[in-house]
Amino acid sequence: MNSMNNIERVKEIVEKVAKVRKFEQIDKFQIAFEIEKNDVHQTLSALKLAGWKQLSYLSAIDWIETSKFELVYVLFNWDEALYIQIRAMIEREAAEMNSIISIFPGAKYYEREAHEFFGINFPGNPDYHKQLILENWDDIPPLRKDFDPSVYSDRKFPKREYSVDYSVKDPENKSFEKIKEREKRALSLRTGGQKK
Amino acid sequence: MNENNKYPKSSIFRPLRHIKYIFKKPVTHPLETIFTKKNADYLKGVKVMKSSKAKISNPRTAPDNLRGFHINDWEKCIGCGTCGEICPTAAITMVERHDLPKVAGKLQQRPVIDYGRCCFCGLCVDTCTTESLKMTKEYIYADSNPDSFQLMPTETWQDQEVEQAYVKNEDTDLLDLERVEMEHIEGSERINSYIEVVRGYSKEYARLEAARCVECGVCTASCPVQMHIPMYIKTIWEDDIEGGLRQIYETNPLPGVCGRVCTHNCETACAIAVRGEAIAIRWLKRYIIDSAPDDMYKKIFTEPVSEVIDAKVAIAGSGPSSLSAAYYLRGLGYKVDVFEEKSRAGGVASFGAPQYRIPDYAVEKDINFIKSIGVNIHTNTKIGSDITFEDLEKKYDAVFLGTGFFKGRVLNIPGADHPDIMGAMDFLPLTRDFARGTLKLEDMNVKPSVVVVGGGDVAFDVARNCIRIQLQKYGKANVLLTSLETLDILPGSDDEYIEGKEEGIKFRLGYGPQEVVVEDGKIKGLKVWKCTRVFDEEGRFNPSFDQSQEEIFEAEQVFFSVGQAPDYSYIPESLKDKVKIERGKIKADEAGKVEGLDWLYVGGDIFRGPDIITAVSDGHRAAVAIDDYLYNKAKKKEQSEYFKEVREAIRFNNPEPALKPKRKRTLI
Repeated sequence: MNSMNNIERVKEIVEKVAKVRKFEQIDKFQIAFEIEKNDVHQTLSALKLAGWKQLSYLSAIDWIETSKFELVYVLFNWDEALYIQIRAMIEREAAEMNSIISIFPGAKYYEREAHEFFGINFPGNPDYHKQLILENWDDIPPLRKDFDPSVYSDRKFPKREYSVDYSVKDPENKSFEKIKEREKRALSLRTGGQKK
Repeated sequence: MNENNKYPKSSIFRPLRHIKYIFKKPVTHPLETIFTKKNADYLKGVKVMKSSKAKISNPRTAPDNLRGFHINDWEKCIGCGTCGEICPTAAITMVERHDLPKVAGKLQQRPVIDYGRCCFCGLCVDTCTTESLKMTKEYIYADSNPDSFQLMPTETWQDQEVEQAYVKNEDTDLLDLERVEMEHIEGSERINSYIEVVRGYSKEYARLEAARCVECGVCTASCPVQMHIPMYIKTIWEDDIEGGLRQIYETNPLPGVCGRVCTHNCETACAIAVRGEAIAIRWLKRYIIDSAPDDMYKKIFTEPVSEVIDAKVAIAGSGPSSLSAAYYLRGLGYKVDVFEEKSRAGGVASFGAPQYRIPDYAVEKDINFIKSIGVNIHTNTKIGSDITFEDLEKKYDAVFLGTGFFKGRVLNIPGADHPDIMGAMDFLPLTRDFARGTLKLEDMNVKPSVVVVGGGDVAFDVARNCIRIQLQKYGKANVLLTSLETLDILPGSDDEYIEGKEEGIKFRLGYGPQEVVVEDGKIKGLKVWKCTRVFDEEGRFNPSFDQSQEEIFEAEQVFFSVGQAPDYSYIPESLKDKVKIERGKIKADEAGKVEGLDWLYVGGDIFRGPDIITAVSDGHRAAVAIDDYLYNKAKKKEQSEYFKEVREAIRFNNPEPALKPKRKRTLI
């Protein structure tokens, strides 16, 4: 069913409408193209016409070091066993990507999800800013890499003081106090690294 | 994941497989078979369940990989705390359990889980270093008392044996159990010279290796000087070599030496070593030292070290314990003079361990820094002849002895007095001088065929040196190593055995030498009997032999590496009765203070032994003890805030006796 010809055909379709920055064959049933942000809509339309009629998923990756979000559109074809990923980098600051609901109406919810978890705006989708899963979220979007789950959980769910105590202590044994003191001293000797 | 198993094979008959489920009875079990009795009783008592008569009273048993409540096998758990570290909901805290024994490789603490926070993600199981923490099929727990949701997992759940469910497997294990490979010079290449066998990590590899560390710190208690191991490993990951260097020098002034030839008990105690290969702690330390440029050493002390205390300490010998004592005494503010009879400082690092393990430049790097802070090292100065012991006693306020075991021992068997027979410590210093070029090949008395007696690391040093010298002298090597111990109890390290074998040592293990066979004034071989046991029932060294299994290992020369001996000839008559010597070692208190002599301290082989890092710890303890003795008596200059802090740190880091981990045998 699936052959190299098939992949070559998809490559041709994509290359016709977009500048392919990187092609990757993940395995025999999955391929990926990294393209420019502005070429995404044309590429998705072209692939939809070619048979990849279903948007299986849309998600994002936070590349905080380079200050980019990577959007990943996963397309599925009911006739040919080949998943196609379309990847595009967008700026992380004031992240924005035009909605694709005109091509895949079902993307409406995926875009809402991506907005909620990453803070990406999707102009063209009238509902993208609406709450979807997180109720009354009051912090930065939780899948951003600079979100600290433990700080959040400490703030929202203060530690309960339990009256049960499982420790068995020997007042003479100060080994853990000593370890803490030693760590403190050793930490004071660090310089913070040469990278920065 | 295997590419072939990633997708199921397609077949038109595939759907038919599911037909079997038509005839299957739905699985239901009574509550008691699924839940612990306590919970079953509780659920039965709940009104809603009673009245509804719903099927809920017969819930299905949980699937095999359910992430239910935890159990923790305390026998296996080492209290590393990695589960608490990874927990995304901060539900796991470690509680101190001083009722557990204090042993190497374990911390006296165990995890307690707050089930009000736990989200049952299973990351704690995935990261558990020992596989002691597991999840069970238990998924119901009810209680009206909120306090009862803080639970300490043990081998049982609610005092009942329960079925395991989610456990670690190869795909979910978050730990990297394989060491980043260290490049070694090939056996056939290295035997042609004294080039260092281990190449050392590159930055990239060192960071990869550092990333394997879980920062639990179970290793530190096994280190005789309790180095800040997880901390300095972290500096490698953060590329903070300067910070790492400063942390290392807090507890070890001979890191270049120890980064190469340490016995690394820390690695034996490493949490990762429970299931995998220990973090290469020794080589990571070496990486920091190798990558620290000379000018970075100036930052270890940010102000120049000077004498602020008007008291002088003399140190006899310049081996690891002496250098360590000198370094810390200097940091504490004393004037320090080190006296070394040989032409170079370093003791066993310069004259014992072979050049291919620890090259001179590495020893010098350590020593140069100790000199740079103002420790005076007087080489070619023998106590007893160049300076008398009485002089030291008179001119100095305290004296530290770290003169080591530098005399070779030879077994007292017939023929052992032959001039071609040598003890290890008589031979090894010569090999170092040969490797340096100060001795010529013709000066080296090594015959074309050699038997080395002994199974420790030193025996391997002798054998591997012989191979190198024979190759240069005769173009081929013939070295046989024999020891009482068979491979399973061989005292030498695995590395030595593997590398020695690669270099061409032949082994005949498990034999006891009886006689050196000499004919016409020439050695013909070593007569041995099969050794039937080395230790008796009580674990004491008490070998016995089978005389009927006699053999002669043919050789023209025999080296003995059966232990070393001290040389106390420098101790004057006047002190001979005061200094008590037991089995070659000087009797002293924990810190090395000789009983009855407040001003005399000892360390290293002549006190505690047996390795370099323990000697470093002896030096540190003695320095603090000497400070205790002298500080209040001596006049002092005004000290800067910085040096007050340094003094405090040196005193605070005074090492405790190390816990000894049990060696894991990997060879057969």
